[in-house]
Amino acid sequence: MPCALLGDRASGKTTFLGLLYSAQVKYGTGVQDDFRFHAPIGSLNLMSAVYEGMKDGRFPSATLKEEITELGFIFGYLRKVVGKLPYYIRQQNWARPFSTLRFSAYDVSGEDIEEFIETGIASRPLIQQLLKSVVVVVLVDCSKMTTDIDTPAYKKMLRYDSTVAKLLVAFQTYKRQEYDRLKDSGVKADAPRIYPAFVLSKFDTLKDDVLARLGLHRGFPENKRARKDYAEALLRVFVPQTLSQIRGGKIAGVSMDKAAYFLSWVRTEQHEGMEPVGQSKIVRTGFAPEGGGEPDFSYDEYVEFIEHFRDIAHKIPDEVLEAEKFQAQALARAA
Amino acid sequence: MPHIVIIGDRDSGKTTFLALLYAAQVKSGATRADDFRFHVDLASMEEISEVFQQLMSGSFPDSAAKEGISDINFHVGYRRSRLGILSRRRSKAWSPDTSASLHFVLLRNLDAEMSRFRSGSSLANVNLRDVLESDAMVILVDSTRLAVVGEENPHGTMTNYDGAVESLLTALQRSRARGDPKRFHPIFLFSKFDSVNKKALRRAKIEDVPPGVRETNRRAAYARALLETNLPKTIAKITDREVQGVRFAPPSYFFSRVATEAATENQRDRVRLLRGDDGGWELDYSADEYLALLERLRTIATEAGD
Repeated sequence: MPCALLGDRASGKTTFLGLLYSAQVKYGTGVQDDFRFHAPIGSLNLMSAVYEGMKDGRFPSATLKEEITELGFIFGYLRKVVGKLPYYIRQQNWARPFSTLRFSAYDVSGEDIEEFIETGIASRPLIQQLLKSVVVVVLVDCSKMTTDIDTPAYKKMLRYDSTVAKLLVAFQTYKRQEYDRLKDSGVKADAPRIYPAFVLSKFDTLKDDVLARLGLHRGFPENKRARKDYAEALLRVFVPQTLSQIRGGKIAGVSMDKAAYFLSWVRTEQHEGMEPVGQSKIVRTGFAPEGGGEPDFSYDEYVEFIEHFRDIAHKIPDEVLEAEKFQAQALARAA
Repeated sequence: MPHIVIIGDRDSGKTTFLALLYAAQVKSGATRADDFRFHVDLASMEEISEVFQQLMSGSFPDSAAKEGISDINFHVGYRRSRLGILSRRRSKAWSPDTSASLHFVLLRNLDAEMSRFRSGSSLANVNLRDVLESDAMVILVDSTRLAVVGEENPHGTMTNYDGAVESLLTALQRSRARGDPKRFHPIFLFSKFDSVNKKALRRAKIEDVPPGVRETNRRAAYARALLETNLPKTIAKITDREVQGVRFAPPSYFFSRVATEAATENQRDRVRLLRGDDGGWELDYSADEYLALLERLRTIATEAGD
């Protein structure tokens, strides 16, 4: 199942991916062994480099960021039923023990999908791939959340809101078109659905006065409903077009109602009373039996993030397979 | 999908009107109550979000943004109320009977367009069929141009505009067969009502503030007092009982205002933003008027069999 990551320039996309990789490494080597992941060699090399850098206390360099055009992981979640089978059966490939989710990050901007916006046709394979995503992860950079109207950060956030809202409408339109095509060809398919996930990146940089103005406290709640309320209070103020178009998906016939919210932070070295010169250094955890020397980041949130997709990965494949089957048929017909 | 034509004099605020209509939807579509939702067509998204961005940055739409907008599609939906014990299934309660699709067509340079039309050419910038087959027309009345006795209005008069609107309505009337069951809905929107010359209101013997959106009759009387002096031909056309062809529905009236900071030597008028209840910035404008207008348009769409 394809999944796309959207984020503004310098919103922390590469750092997010690096931390996600770090969480995958740790979570994927747990005793329970119900989550596994795989990455193509290109992505693995890049992510290893990011990860190594973070273990050295450094944020990803600009050169590394530039190398990312498409980067992917495959998440594998042990199917519940399979998990109950004897070990030797579970290990057989025919048992298809894992539901998979292909997580891809594309470095695209609003302009890249202009062709689709203007003509309704997505001819570039990368854009086609992007628009096929069933899961859309939107990074919202908390460092740009300001209530100071005359700052560049305020204007950047306004622009980002427009770009993401546009992209989401593009996703909805593409999905709707695909669904109509399936229906016209006599293929029975469920109403299209996109699973959005919002990651509030650089959450540690969110200013206290902003939170106070919005009537929020610093801690992110654990309860699902409270998390939604908390995150939406921020989105309502800073990316209202995005929030309204997520909800509007239902009107367009593409439900995006199952949104989930996560936050991401990575602790950096602070020197009292001093502004950091250049890029700040990542604080690392001390060595312990369960591992150490890792970047000190919101690991639990990343695990939540990985776990959030477990249900989706179990649920979605049939729909995607239908669509892929249809496309294969269409290609065969065209040939 | 009903076609709604927007007409207005030059600089009467047509693009700002659409941007404020979008802003009202963005705000209502992101509330905690989640009882209103809307979707913008992909083809409309680029332009409308651009003008929204400009307003939220404190600027009125620039000429490039204005030129970019010719038609916009919105799809709106209201949550079915009183679900009672079914409230847990709220997300499924977006019923078709409370939804509508609205296609706005913006007709620029009405005067020039009507001259072309009278000489036998088609309208230049928009699909003529969209205009002639439209279900409703939002007629913008620039409140700064309302006439004041004995004073020359620096913003100009409405005489030409009145003639052009009347011509367009006549063309529309002629294009439809007699006995056409489809009603045509005229909607008057007084733009820039916060900048109206109070003398124009005195002249019409009306108060400074129009009656609330729910006071339909009083509001109609208030608006008519202004229109009868300023757009006499238009209002006569719409209220003419001997009309052939198209049937006009009773007009509805809305008053738009958006708070501004006065222009200075180095800076044009700026849109004023204020702190909203949610802690963020929002436009200081007549949101209730826009929401009422949206509701009215939904009713029109339902009648048009959307």
